[in-house]
Amino acid sequence: MKNTPGWQAIEQWLAAKELKPFVFQEEAWEHYLHGRSGLVNAPTGFGKTFSLFLGTVIRWINENPDYRSKSVNGLQLLWVTPLRALAKDIGRAMEEALHELKVPWKVGIRSGDTATSVREQQKKQMPEVLIITPESIHILMAQKEYAKRFATLNTVVVDEWHELLGSKRGVMVELGLSRLRGLRPGLQVWGISATIGNLHEALEVLMGKPSPAHVIVKAEVKKAIEVHCILPDEIEKYPWAGHMGLKLRHKVLPVIQQSNTTLLFTNTRGQSEIWYHQILKECPELAGAMALHHGSIDAELRIWVEEALHTGTLKLVVCTSSLDLGVDFRPVDTVIQVGSPKGVARFLQRAGRSGHRPDAVSNIWFLPTHSLELVEAAALKDAMKQNLIESRMPVVLAYDVLLQYLMTLGVSDGFNAKEIWAEVQGTFCYRDMTTEEWQWVLAFLTTGGDALQSYDEFRKLHLVGDTYHCVSRQQAMRHRLHIGTIVSDAMLKVRYMTGGFIGLIEEYFISRLSPGDSFRLSGQNLEFVMIKDMTVLVRKSKSKKSIVPSWNGGRMPLSANLGMMLRRKFHEAMAGTAKEEEVTILQPLFDLQQLLSHIPREDELLMEQIETKDGYHLFVYPFEGRLVHEVMAMLLAWRISQQHPITFSIAMNDYGFELLSDQPIPVDDTNAQELFSLDNLNIDLQSSVNATEMARRKFRDIAVIAGLVFQGFPGQHKANRHLQSSASLLFKVFEDYDAQNILVRQSFNEAFFYQMEEARLRETLARISKDRIVITFPQRLTPFCFPIKVDSLREEMTSEKLEDRIKKMILWQ
Amino acid sequence: MEDVLHLFRGQHWRLSAGRAAYWEEERALVIADLHVGKSAHFRKAGIAVPANIVQDDLYRLQQLITKYDPLRVIVVGDMFHSEANNEVQYFKIWRRQFPHIRFELITGNHDIMAPEIYEQLEIVSQPFLQLGDIYFVHDLKDQPQPLNGQYVFSGHIHPGVWMVGFGRQKLRLPCFYFGGEGAVLPAFSAFTGMYSVEPEASSTVFVIAERKIFRV
Repeated sequence: MKNTPGWQAIEQWLAAKELKPFVFQEEAWEHYLHGRSGLVNAPTGFGKTFSLFLGTVIRWINENPDYRSKSVNGLQLLWVTPLRALAKDIGRAMEEALHELKVPWKVGIRSGDTATSVREQQKKQMPEVLIITPESIHILMAQKEYAKRFATLNTVVVDEWHELLGSKRGVMVELGLSRLRGLRPGLQVWGISATIGNLHEALEVLMGKPSPAHVIVKAEVKKAIEVHCILPDEIEKYPWAGHMGLKLRHKVLPVIQQSNTTLLFTNTRGQSEIWYHQILKECPELAGAMALHHGSIDAELRIWVEEALHTGTLKLVVCTSSLDLGVDFRPVDTVIQVGSPKGVARFLQRAGRSGHRPDAVSNIWFLPTHSLELVEAAALKDAMKQNLIESRMPVVLAYDVLLQYLMTLGVSDGFNAKEIWAEVQGTFCYRDMTTEEWQWVLAFLTTGGDALQSYDEFRKLHLVGDTYHCVSRQQAMRHRLHIGTIVSDAMLKVRYMTGGFIGLIEEYFISRLSPGDSFRLSGQNLEFVMIKDMTVLVRKSKSKKSIVPSWNGGRMPLSANLGMMLRRKFHEAMAGTAKEEEVTILQPLFDLQQLLSHIPREDELLMEQIETKDGYHLFVYPFEGRLVHEVMAMLLAWRISQQHPITFSIAMNDYGFELLSDQPIPVDDTNAQELFSLDNLNIDLQSSVNATEMARRKFRDIAVIAGLVFQGFPGQHKANRHLQSSASLLFKVFEDYDAQNILVRQSFNEAFFYQMEEARLRETLARISKDRIVITFPQRLTPFCFPIKVDSLREEMTSEKLEDRIKKMILWQ
Repeated sequence: MEDVLHLFRGQHWRLSAGRAAYWEEERALVIADLHVGKSAHFRKAGIAVPANIVQDDLYRLQQLITKYDPLRVIVVGDMFHSEANNEVQYFKIWRRQFPHIRFELITGNHDIMAPEIYEQLEIVSQPFLQLGDIYFVHDLKDQPQPLNGQYVFSGHIHPGVWMVGFGRQKLRLPCFYFGGEGAVLPAFSAFTGMYSVEPEASSTVFVIAERKIFRV
């Protein structure tokens, strides 16, 4: 292969730049030129793009000796990227290489941002390389004679596959690939992924069917990461609870000043607003050299920030997960993580945002927001050493995405049910789907199913000959506007009275404000004036006091890997074998915990019973993340409440949970173990957890993706509260009148899988059944329980009669 | 459905957990925010909604009429959610059971149907109503100035209150609210949201807990 003209051309081109290919690149080219498909596993910044892109160029040169004069060749390579922002940079890099190699290929971009004129041009003549988002593949497939566009396609590369894998956007990729493989049976498919726990599964999902011919090419490059921990000077004075971390900001400022460019990651948008404000207040000289970046900030402003990061004109960007992904920001040399990153993979990813060059060291500073979080720093370091990286679980049986996809094919050229069923069954996502379910899906699209058959709106497809078509032009138009699986939240635009867009804010937050109130967004202090045409009008505020909005979401649970490492670290602290500074500095806190209560060993579960003026508390510490704790707390509360009428208020964090009652909680050595029993778990879960409510919440997105709820035409946004109620009403209709509805079933499955993390719950209970349960009765609140107790988000579980409860209560005024 | 007797301004009021107040002296059943046609309105917008909501609401009203045997039913606003639709037709048939009862509507912001439709339904509609020293109006804010010793009965906001207890317990319940300026009735329809009222110290509040009602 190395003697082929294409390979030679590439080698010479690189040599002219005094470069030579990485081993993994050559390996990938070799596999590609042999016609294989597979997955490249490489961190960003190591030429992963070229490991596949140049492969296609090599083959093109090999197969076309007259390549220098061959233009207008039709689409050769489809490059799928999860992020629009990535497309431009990748396109630029490809164009540069093609130009220097004198290959007259064109590189096009197709995403939601692509101008209509460019789209029209692409319709007439596809470029040789098209960089595209998963949604845009489906949009192309929703157009008449879409097959023509892919007539010459021979390679698809899915970039950042690990990002798409665990989401419904990944399912869109799977379905798009299934159709493309149907059109082009010899299609070669490659993925590019960062390291995740289930790389082989990631390959299988991409390929649909397993085959020994599929390969994984690993870049054997070790990225040097240095983790620094910001330690409080006096651990005794550092707060036991909190999530802001501002107390340590004086230690962060020198780090920022000594760095070239710093990214400061926070876990929530609200937190980023506060940090931005505080730093600016203390370092006014940073004005103009610092910026804020999160999901609710105007897209144009975000793009500006990203570009400024490229050129190195910014010293500091305060950001959220909005900057987790994306292009290389070469000037960034320091990353600061405020609070727990919740998982090893995310921490690594964020660390990797600094020191992007292959030989550079990534520097990440961990800033704990409360004392115990310091242990997490030690846990993260160990987890990184052992490469304990989380898996991304692929989405399976997403019927909503399938309904959308079939509608997509229905609005373009129609589809033959037999042919498409074979393709769909060949995907990982739908390989366990039954023929009955397929028939149900078809029937649902043609009749609306048992519950909706009296509504014309839900009769979407008609069988003409042997193909299913959408005959309504209006429905086709509606559908094309709503292709995708990202369901927007109820967000309102925020704009100055005098004009000028600032960002987005949740409807829920604004509904609690009165005109004249001040709030903070995009780093600005704003006074709420009024809401007009779904836009929040504001003016600059001089008020000293302002509210920071709390955006929903962003409450990721601690990962299982990190939880396990944490338990080990506590064990080590208890045994006195811990060597890390982060752990040893906490010794006074551990001593207090041990004095008041106990520090659990790795094979122990700690429970604390404490009485305060609020009532009777029971704290439990499984260290399994807030979602598992929520369900476990409900389960425990329900099992206790079966013995006699009692009401609990429930709170949790990533380390443990609390049951609080107005009466003593009857838990002791004699019954503790059975409260965690796996026996009757299914029945008890159904009685204790409001699975229907959880499923109803999941159903909202499902209904939108499946096209049951129309989100409105662009510009004439439908009030989201309206959308919410219609989705929940549909849910009720289906539950009552269409028991077979697989979308309802899907929403329950999603609730069990994502909301309750059922599998992890079972593993936890199994672990606890082997653990020794230690119950203590501390005289006052312990360092462990304090952060949970102050959490204000609470849920309830009761077995008392409503009237009995009211009789014990007073009116709140 | 239980009720409690509330002696107020020398009059006997039976406050029912069925979200209605019965004024014994006037033999008047007073309700607010019935929202007939709301689910049909949703369905017309392409949103499937169970149809039996209006049946359930009107069945409850029927039970209350049977229990108290009123001569008049006063609806303090938002009797109908939107334009005339098939639920309004359902109401028309339902209405025939009680030809002897006078239905009086104090118009609210949702009552936008043409006057002849109210006539066909045999409903007397008016922006407010004075009966003794009680002044009925949909929105408490639209009370007359000065009040001249009258007391206002209103609806509109679908009031609810928070109850709190030991062990950080909290509950929000629909209520009858008797404040200094006037009274606010709970929304009659089950298909409505709730607005949290912050009670004044001098107010009297009755909370509805399923089929029971309590003074708190």
